[in-house]
Amino acid sequence: MTPWVHIPQLLAAGITMGAIYALVALGFVIIVRASQIINFAQGEFVMLGGVVTFFFIKGAGLPYPLAALAAVLVVICIGLLLHLLVIYPLRKASVLILIMATVGASIVLSNTSALLFGTLPKALPPFSGDLPLEIGDIRIAPQGLWVFGATFFLFFVLYLLSHRTLLGKAMEASSTDPLGADLTGIARNFMVFLAFGVSAGVGAIAGVLVTPLFYTSYNAGTLLGFKGFIAAVVGGWGKNSGAILGGFVLGIVESTSIAFIPAGYKDAVAFVVLLLILYFRPKGILGSPYIDSRRW
Amino acid sequence: MVKEYNKGSKIEYRKRDILYTAGLWLVSLILPDPHLPYRREFIKKRDFFYLGALLLLPLILSDRLVYLMVLAGIYAIVALGLSLFLGYAGQISLGHAAFFGIGAYTTAILTTRYGVPPLGAFGASALAAAVCAYLIGKPILKLKGYFLALATLGFGEIFLVMVRETRSLTGGVSGIFGIPWFSVAGFVFDTSLEQYYLVWGVLIALVLFAKNLVRSKMGRALLAVAASEDAAASVGINVAQVKVRVFVLSAAFAGLAGSLFACVLSTANPEGFGLGLSVLIVMMVIMGGMGNLYGPIFAAIFLTWLTDVLGGYQEYSLPIYGVILILLLIFFPDGVGTRLNERLIYLISYWGRKRRRERVDI
Repeated sequence: MTPWVHIPQLLAAGITMGAIYALVALGFVIIVRASQIINFAQGEFVMLGGVVTFFFIKGAGLPYPLAALAAVLVVICIGLLLHLLVIYPLRKASVLILIMATVGASIVLSNTSALLFGTLPKALPPFSGDLPLEIGDIRIAPQGLWVFGATFFLFFVLYLLSHRTLLGKAMEASSTDPLGADLTGIARNFMVFLAFGVSAGVGAIAGVLVTPLFYTSYNAGTLLGFKGFIAAVVGGWGKNSGAILGGFVLGIVESTSIAFIPAGYKDAVAFVVLLLILYFRPKGILGSPYIDSRRW
Repeated sequence: MVKEYNKGSKIEYRKRDILYTAGLWLVSLILPDPHLPYRREFIKKRDFFYLGALLLLPLILSDRLVYLMVLAGIYAIVALGLSLFLGYAGQISLGHAAFFGIGAYTTAILTTRYGVPPLGAFGASALAAAVCAYLIGKPILKLKGYFLALATLGFGEIFLVMVRETRSLTGGVSGIFGIPWFSVAGFVFDTSLEQYYLVWGVLIALVLFAKNLVRSKMGRALLAVAASEDAAASVGINVAQVKVRVFVLSAAFAGLAGSLFACVLSTANPEGFGLGLSVLIVMMVIMGGMGNLYGPIFAAIFLTWLTDVLGGYQEYSLPIYGVILILLLIFFPDGVGTRLNERLIYLISYWGRKRRRERVDI
């Protein structure tokens, strides 16, 4: 039996995974478009989205949609608090300090979640039934379609935000030209504050959508966050379209790699992709407005 | 003329001279260069104080604390190496736990599978870590900032996956057990006290070496690269080469520390070499202060003690640890001991100058 037999099924799985990575990557891109900061705690927002929804359904007895909405709001508040308590005091600090502070925040968030909600993995029921759709030989979980749809819906919403509203343009201005933004009267720190809220919201939505597909435990966020970041780099750093493309490329590469190498090495594939893309084309597939390839 | 000059400078070696020169070269690494004007500064009075304190500390410490000091010394070796890379050369690495792990696994595999004496494995660990650092450093050190951090972090994760999956060599998740104690010429370091003197002896030698290094041409080049790569390149420093060299050097430090770690704990398993350790070591360098050799060592002692104390709080330990990290970063971004006097005065006069503080920075 050749590994090629499994390729169509793995491609389908890869596209689902890719949509998830794309959602996480979008969260990174939102913050970078407002402030050039990379938030290493982004993956924890995803984890919290799933875990808090689970808590609202099982602990507080809310209906599913309401619990999901409440969880997204809670995570948005956590994102805003993260900015107020960690990022804002360090707004003039060096890159290294910011990296360490967001890593510290990620340690706090994941372990506090373990403390409050327990270390057991959480599972939510799928939105529309367990029955997989069968197209030819390929089976697709309906939840995968939800994730796929949500990715493009959020992409569209973020496109509208950054291209059709003054707020979005102000957010982008505060990243591309901080001095110019100050001179035109944009409250730069407030824009970063809002960006953290939006980013946490996108992360939480990703968490709510992912939890029915995989069990979400307290330490799942870190790896998911790194993979989302890798997706954003692969597609083109700082571009929404790059995040989506990078997510799908990463998901498909990672998923199809299972056919050729032992499954245990799957987690290393994403990082190998990262090293390769950083070496050969640091600005990513679609190019990046923030990285000048001559200087890297 | 030229011919005569060449003739005169020709030196003939006997075989044993190479042996002497190798030894002399090793010693010269940790002795101050007699031709440089700073030789009076090389060892100050406070260094003798630190040395005396180190020698006498085991007399007043309990067994548990001596064991913690052994661990602290091992982490201090890694932090010292990372201080050269991060504090002096201004680069970022979140992958030093991997080099630490490479050192530990090299020692573990060589001593348990092939019966190599621990001293040989000690050297081989540094060599293995240095070779890995050279191979990984060549391509990724052209990156800067966040991307360098991510690339080194990626290397660390790849290392962990490799260790977990190559079960025949590394024993997978459970790791390798029964690594023999460190021994030199029949003398076995099997008590905490002996290990304490071993680890801190190695650390003192490495501190002397690092002190020599930062005052050498290479050390100046490191500072220049940290200040501005363009300016450094314009005065003739080969920036890429300097970065790779200091990366290899700091990895070799981590490899030595990993080897000692494997000998002291006599086990090696992948749990200890993850992102958590990298973060801890980078924290030591940040707390100790950038461009400072003693700071990371004190920070290593403090953070090792802190993680041990927090370990007593079970599931509360990691959230508290994270909060302490963030608070340290917010209040001491330049290191705890850096410019302590000025900062105390600043703090005292903080409220008095509240209005003037609100100036515009462009």
